Amino acid sequence: MSEAPVLRLKGVNKRFGGVVAANDVDLDLPGGVVTALVGPNGAGKTTLFNLITGNLKPDSGLIELRGRSLAGIEPRGAALAGIARSFQDLRLFEQMTVFENVLSVMERSALPWQPGGRAAANARREKADATIAQVGLTNWRDARAIDLGYAEQKFLSLARILVTDASLWLLDEPASGLDPASYERFVKLVRGRLSEGITICLIEHNLDIVHGISDRIAFLDQGTVLAAGEPRAILNDPKLAAIYFGERR
Amino acid sequence: MLFLQLLVDGLQLGALYALMAVGFAIIFGSTRVFHYAHGTTYVIVGYVFFYLAERLALPWWLAAAIASAAAVVFGVALDRFVYRPIQRDEGSFFTVFVASFGIGVVAENLIIIFFGASFVSISTPLTRVSDIGGGIVVSYLGMFSVLVAVLLFTFLNWFLAKTDVGVALRALSENPELVRGFGLNPRKLSQYAFAIGSLLVAPAALVATCVTGLTPSAGHRVVLISIAASIIGGIGSLRGAGFGGLILGLAESLAVWKLSTGWSEAVSFIILLAFILARPSGLFGTRARV
Amino acid sequence: MVGYILNLLILVSISGILAGSLNFIIGYAGIYSMAHAAFFGVSAYTAALIAMNLSTSLLVAIPAAMAICAALSLVISLPSLRVRGEYFVVASLGLQQIAFTVFSEWKDVTGGLGGITGVPVATLFGYKLRSLGSMLTVSLVCLALVTLVIYVLVRTSFGRNLKAIRDNEVAASAFGKNATAIKTIAVAISSALCGIAGVLYAFHVSFVNPESFTVDASVLIMAMIIIGGTGTVFGPILGALIIHLLPAGLTYLTFLPARELASLQQIIYGAAMVLLMIYRPSGLIGRSNVKDTWTR
Repeated sequence: MSEAPVLRLKGVNKRFGGVVAANDVDLDLPGGVVTALVGPNGAGKTTLFNLITGNLKPDSGLIELRGRSLAGIEPRGAALAGIARSFQDLRLFEQMTVFENVLSVMERSALPWQPGGRAAANARREKADATIAQVGLTNWRDARAIDLGYAEQKFLSLARILVTDASLWLLDEPASGLDPASYERFVKLVRGRLSEGITICLIEHNLDIVHGISDRIAFLDQGTVLAAGEPRAILNDPKLAAIYFGERR
Repeated sequence: MLFLQLLVDGLQLGALYALMAVGFAIIFGSTRVFHYAHGTTYVIVGYVFFYLAERLALPWWLAAAIASAAAVVFGVALDRFVYRPIQRDEGSFFTVFVASFGIGVVAENLIIIFFGASFVSISTPLTRVSDIGGGIVVSYLGMFSVLVAVLLFTFLNWFLAKTDVGVALRALSENPELVRGFGLNPRKLSQYAFAIGSLLVAPAALVATCVTGLTPSAGHRVVLISIAASIIGGIGSLRGAGFGGLILGLAESLAVWKLSTGWSEAVSFIILLAFILARPSGLFGTRARV
Repeated sequence: MVGYILNLLILVSISGILAGSLNFIIGYAGIYSMAHAAFFGVSAYTAALIAMNLSTSLLVAIPAAMAICAALSLVISLPSLRVRGEYFVVASLGLQQIAFTVFSEWKDVTGGLGGITGVPVATLFGYKLRSLGSMLTVSLVCLALVTLVIYVLVRTSFGRNLKAIRDNEVAASAFGKNATAIKTIAVAISSALCGIAGVLYAFHVSFVNPESFTVDASVLIMAMIIIGGTGTVFGPILGALIIHLLPAGLTYLTFLPARELASLQQIIYGAAMVLLMIYRPSGLIGRSNVKDTWTR
């Protein structure tokens, strides 16, 4: 089971003027496991995602996916390398329907046609419908993304990830604001794919629920990884709790 | 000798282009409005000047002053009644552009109805030339252009560095993210931006009315040159826009050496495309990727 | 009277192609091009020159014009689309100006301000399209083909790619789409389709001069899209119809000075643009950005 981590960050640094967004970050994401990134607001969690996917370039340090460096990569390249990423503000294709949102994610070719011809096109449509059913959005299949309710939009965002064949998922606060029943459903869907060897890293704000969804936790504050390991140990650490709840500030 | 003459002409033209360009850059920099109607401001100044000086026979300095005031009124009114309502509703860059373009179309055709579509100009003794030595001639208007440009830029330098409003405008141009955080009232700031930016167009329009003549469709070229100068100089740099204007004026004038006047007018836009291709951040741009 | 109507319908067909091809990039991709009149002009001049020197066959002129327009579009799209969409607008404005200068100044080729006159009658498979009726048939067929192409493209993965980029380019890239390539191809397709209109125009009016391809033409095409609606494939055609009927309608308002009708038209369209941008928050993109809360 324990092999080289799927994603490795080593000594990653990023500054914006005077603000340290990432401070000598070492982080390993083991395969087949859900790692949660937690920490107070502004700790640099989304920045790490941006550095991994190439939306931001690190000032120094290594980022490797399965041993291969991701230096200089653009977001598109990250997707082609098998990384799927969701956003805190969802970034759905708002004027398109649920079905189109899910289908379009599989259509990567820039040309007026996709490879594989009719058979592949039908397969994609079936897969889209199956994924929509999985997340429970079949009733909203032809509704515009902008017309969906909050919870439905969250599940649509997840559907777009589920339908890719990515092996590393970076989910930015994917379940925030969901009611308990929806959250249960969400966790099942996310963890359900782990057996296929998918590696998942998610940013989660709510410490109460994070232990239910993750196998490992990394705690960030002001761009620095303060601790990483078993959820119980991290969550019970009073020093980290103080930082999280802002007592130190 | 021809080269030197063209150089001198280019400096005069460049001075006016620099003014127009900085005017546009101040507006775009601090309000992020793609003010296509900047060219319309130019045309309005010219035609008001023409109407007052030629048709109503007002003394030229009065006509010029009123025309310049018209520019300020037009710019500020557009900001208040068109741009701000759109931006309040989260209008995008393109929405504002289409609206601005629409204003330009309406104004241009109103002018066609009232003044006709052909050239109008004012004859004035100021177009007389004098020899400054070596066979190079400079018109009084040409010297006037450079003088006014120097004066206005000196004033701007002081204003942008020493006054609260000026510093705010300059800071906004270089760092649009500051819009939210600044202490000054954003509405007042944009008024200043449009007032100053529009006023800077006036000298070029006044000179053109006397020298080359004015047509209702002149606005398109004016705003495009202003944009081109801003891109060449670098978005975010007011000095860059001025420098860009100067370069374009020189380029257009020197182009006449090898090309006819008609072709030389296209030179600015070819330079623009070249910069977008090779160096979109411009010469002094503050960001590599906008 | 019949001749008048046939002529009007031919012009509507040509305008329908212009508006439809522009809407393809503005309405579906959110790419604002102000150079459409320039492509229209380039293809018209190309057709005129081919007709006078090489062949009057539409089957020669149309592919040639389409190829030239597509290639020309790369001049503005390759540099600017990889930067930001705003640069594309500026580049298209620049191209429009350069094109007009070329039309007016390259006298040896374009005939300068006087243009090219006496373009011979178009032929198709050797058959001369001498009558208005035959020209109308060909124009309608072209309009139908162009509309069909756009309709098909919009409903396929390419259309979804365009809309995805328009709706959220960051997300589109995050899922592996090559936004720059997609936009470049879309602009090339739009320009090529526009080229068909230019060819038909040159043969129909049998002369080309710079005056027909100015910013005013771009305004008219924009107005067609705005009035007809950008969200559908047929909207621009409706817009073309209305724009062409308006002058005829205006002549019935006899209190309006006839000389100024063209300017009045432009004023109406310009004002429409301004008012729509102020009062319709979604701007030009067809559907509303406002949530339909009642459909849940």
